[in-house]
Amino acid sequence: MEWLNPYHLQVASFVLINAILGVSIYITLSTGQLSLGNAGFMSIGAYTAALLSTQHHLPIPVGILAGSLLAGVAGVLVGIPSLRLTGVYLAIATLGFGEVLRAVLINWESLTGGAVGVAAIPQMGRVILAWAGDRGFSPESLGLQGNQFISLAVFLILLLSTILSVAFFLRLSRSRVGRAYSAIRLDESAAAAAGIPITYYKVMAFSQGALLSGFAGALFAHSTSFVSPGDFTYHRAVEILVFAVFGGSEHIFGPVFGAAFLTVMPEALRFVSEYRYILYGILLVLMMTFRPQGVIDPPLMRAVRRMRKGRTE
Amino acid sequence: MFLEQLINGITQGSIYAIVALGYTLVFGVLDIINMAHGEIFMFGSFVGLLAVTKADAPLPVAFLAAIVSAAAMGFLLERVALRPLRTRRGASHLASMISTIGVSILLENVAHKLFGAGNHLFETSFAEIAFHVGPVTIYLVQIVILAISLVLMAGLALWLSRSRSGKALRATAESLETAGLLGVNTNRMITATVVIASAMGGVAGVLVGMAFSYINNQMGLSMGLKGLAIIIFGGMGSVYGAMAGGLLLGLSETFMVAYGSSGYRDAIAFVLIIVILLLKPQGLFGQAPAEARR
Amino acid sequence: MKKRDLRLLSVLTALLFALLFMGAQKAKPAAKPKSEPVHAKIGVVSIITGQGAAYGEAITNGIKMARDEVNAKGEVVVDLKIEDSTGKAEQALSAAQKLINSEKVVAIIGPTLSTEMKVVGPEANASGVPIMGTSNTAAGITQIGKFVFRNSMPETQAIPASIGAAVKKYKLKKVALLYGNDDVFTKSGFDTMKAVTEKAGLKILTIEEFQKGQADYKAQLTKIASLKPDAVFCSALYNEGGVILSQARKMGIKVPFVGGNGFNSPKVIDIAKDAADGLIVATPWFGERNDPKVKAFVSKYEKAYGKKPDQFAAQAYDAYYIMTNAIKAAGKADRAKLRDTLAATKNFQGVLGKFSFDAERDVVMAPNVLIVKGGKFTIFH
Repeated sequence: MEWLNPYHLQVASFVLINAILGVSIYITLSTGQLSLGNAGFMSIGAYTAALLSTQHHLPIPVGILAGSLLAGVAGVLVGIPSLRLTGVYLAIATLGFGEVLRAVLINWESLTGGAVGVAAIPQMGRVILAWAGDRGFSPESLGLQGNQFISLAVFLILLLSTILSVAFFLRLSRSRVGRAYSAIRLDESAAAAAGIPITYYKVMAFSQGALLSGFAGALFAHSTSFVSPGDFTYHRAVEILVFAVFGGSEHIFGPVFGAAFLTVMPEALRFVSEYRYILYGILLVLMMTFRPQGVIDPPLMRAVRRMRKGRTE
Repeated sequence: MFLEQLINGITQGSIYAIVALGYTLVFGVLDIINMAHGEIFMFGSFVGLLAVTKADAPLPVAFLAAIVSAAAMGFLLERVALRPLRTRRGASHLASMISTIGVSILLENVAHKLFGAGNHLFETSFAEIAFHVGPVTIYLVQIVILAISLVLMAGLALWLSRSRSGKALRATAESLETAGLLGVNTNRMITATVVIASAMGGVAGVLVGMAFSYINNQMGLSMGLKGLAIIIFGGMGSVYGAMAGGLLLGLSETFMVAYGSSGYRDAIAFVLIIVILLLKPQGLFGQAPAEARR
Repeated sequence: MKKRDLRLLSVLTALLFALLFMGAQKAKPAAKPKSEPVHAKIGVVSIITGQGAAYGEAITNGIKMARDEVNAKGEVVVDLKIEDSTGKAEQALSAAQKLINSEKVVAIIGPTLSTEMKVVGPEANASGVPIMGTSNTAAGITQIGKFVFRNSMPETQAIPASIGAAVKKYKLKKVALLYGNDDVFTKSGFDTMKAVTEKAGLKILTIEEFQKGQADYKAQLTKIASLKPDAVFCSALYNEGGVILSQARKMGIKVPFVGGNGFNSPKVIDIAKDAADGLIVATPWFGERNDPKVKAFVSKYEKAYGKKPDQFAAQAYDAYYIMTNAIKAAGKADRAKLRDTLAATKNFQGVLGKFSFDAERDVVMAPNVLIVKGGKFTIFH
């Protein structure tokens, strides 16, 4: 089992967390709302999960659930007043929400530990290994090293989480709700005239995005075992947006692809070391110049489907 | 202490205002948030620094060098990252925003390669000239900064409202197609806008160096974020709004430190915009409601 | 993607076999173990790009210099693998995973920031790879696990020394505190600072905060100036610290500034010029020390990189020697064995002075208290 490299699994794990984040911004975008608050919602999920497991010793799944729900509630609270805003105004107001939240995390020391962050958060893989170890299981029985097993466990949990999230929202996009979302995105007044309750759906999309960000944040906390306010800066918010726009914001696979590509690329570019972010910048400009709608767009998806059909026939 | 803090706040606010003027100009015409503006400002600052320290140039020459190089970068930005997107169908505003983000990442890292990380001393004898009025010390630089920001604001406002090219610019801002039909060379107007905005960024860059004596390759980001916040609560595309917003932010940050908690200093900008947007979504000086200007 | 992975994998396995083969060949004439060099691969995780790259640059410079020296001696021949963390915990973790699992390094030096170490440390510890921080000064670093070391003096040791000396000399009564609240290093330095100040029975006039990337500290300094403290205790890294000093002096705050380890760098003087006079720091690194080892290091470093080494370069330089000495003692590049020989390091004489690990693999070292006088660090009496 030598080929099972924890490094590759680690990068894959970050790809998956980022993919969930990408989907989270895609959902709000699918109603035409551009939210840059997802780093903020992510921090709510991450801190809730981290604090529940380190200070109150609750099991990890409880923390993840609580973190996601709390982020979702915050999404409703931010989403309702944000209804008055559109476009760049909304983007910057939500970015502002994230920055204010970060200032709170830094300054509310008694709860969050300030800039020092929360350390020694139980890591999912290690907890599973310990739990299984108590029951007489050893990873060697699968031909795995301890760290291989840990990385693999984290990867599989994240993979399952990502698949479930994507499947849920893929299904949603084909349902009544999804159709309402795209109607709102295409033309809000027309959608309202057609009797779609705009407010309800916009707030719902907003809080779904927030919930998913919080979910990703909670998973993040339990895979890196440390969170600090520095993890949820403006850079994170922009990074999430770039996943969606680069990959394509009109199909759910767009942000997933964007997250995967843009997470793997800096790793693959490690050999150019100090030049890699220069290349990253150039790539973004070139990409937007030649394919501004992102890599994956509905026509491409249709073409892929047609090709696959052609092959099976 | 109050007077000193007032002066601190006005100085900081004037610099914010100049940065915000650059943003508001580009947004007013193109409806695009130019995320690379902060980095162009930073580059201008470094060019000014090099002119002063390496070439021993007098201050006006440093300003000129900063303005010219920032303007040149604005020109390149428009040509490389904005214009190609304008002609493409399917390019949303998001796309141009991401493309300017790409430029900003590029510039920040190039500056790191060229100038190195960390703070650089920006020392000019001009920055040492001070007056003592009773217990309060006022630096000449502080007055100059306020004056330059006011002159830039007034000049910009006059140009937009009175001159022929200013009118052409506003027509372009109103509608690209219509302005084109009326015989305005819209591409040239847009380039001019980005170049002028960037040149102002260059001015602000040198002023920051003079006011605080230090510059580094990361300062574009924090200044850029503040600038963004200012144009939101000042009103997108409003010249007076940028000025008023800049001063308001500079003063509230300073007084937050003086009489409140310095830990929340960086968050004030965003608290302000959240409050403003909820009360008056078009911003303090914004004319049209947000919806109509999409 | 898959194809490339496969190709990568095959290249890696080929390399691995090549290494094994080389190892096997080397193993043959092992009759004379003394003259035979120990081959090892050491990983470095450091900030090459992004905010904080200034620290990473000094660290990698120090390490590379030490590597060239040690490799030339021929006892321990090291293949150094340097990876960028960009100052982000996730990137640091990926980099460390790469070093541990793909490069199969015997040990890791780094990462640069305490936040990064808190993510990387547990992973290295779980994988049984010795990891040594050269610039992590926050509390609770080596407590992560028995494979985690550091040779950078924590602020809990440095700050009491500098404050103690300053209080004694200047008979301080009332002080102002200033620190960066959004950075682990400066924040945890401040926590120590506050505790020490309270314990010394000093009156705290005000506590002021600043955030990364600010250029203007005038608002905070104006407030501090109006309260007329006997001294300002400042927890900052040299980059911000130098600017703060310069602006403070310009505003007429002439009282001593007391800082911790992070304030100690020739850069402070580069940045603040004359304004740096009156800055008191406690640190193991003193570049003007009358010691041939220090002098040789400083002049060689200056020649190679065009600037004076700071504490980050010095700590990284010593860390490399500590690491390779331990590899020599272990006799082979073995992770578990290296951990034990590393932990046994006692009275190592480096450019920082005499160094040992305590039972918790933390630093045992006596800090120097230095003051800047006439644009130079000198011993504070």
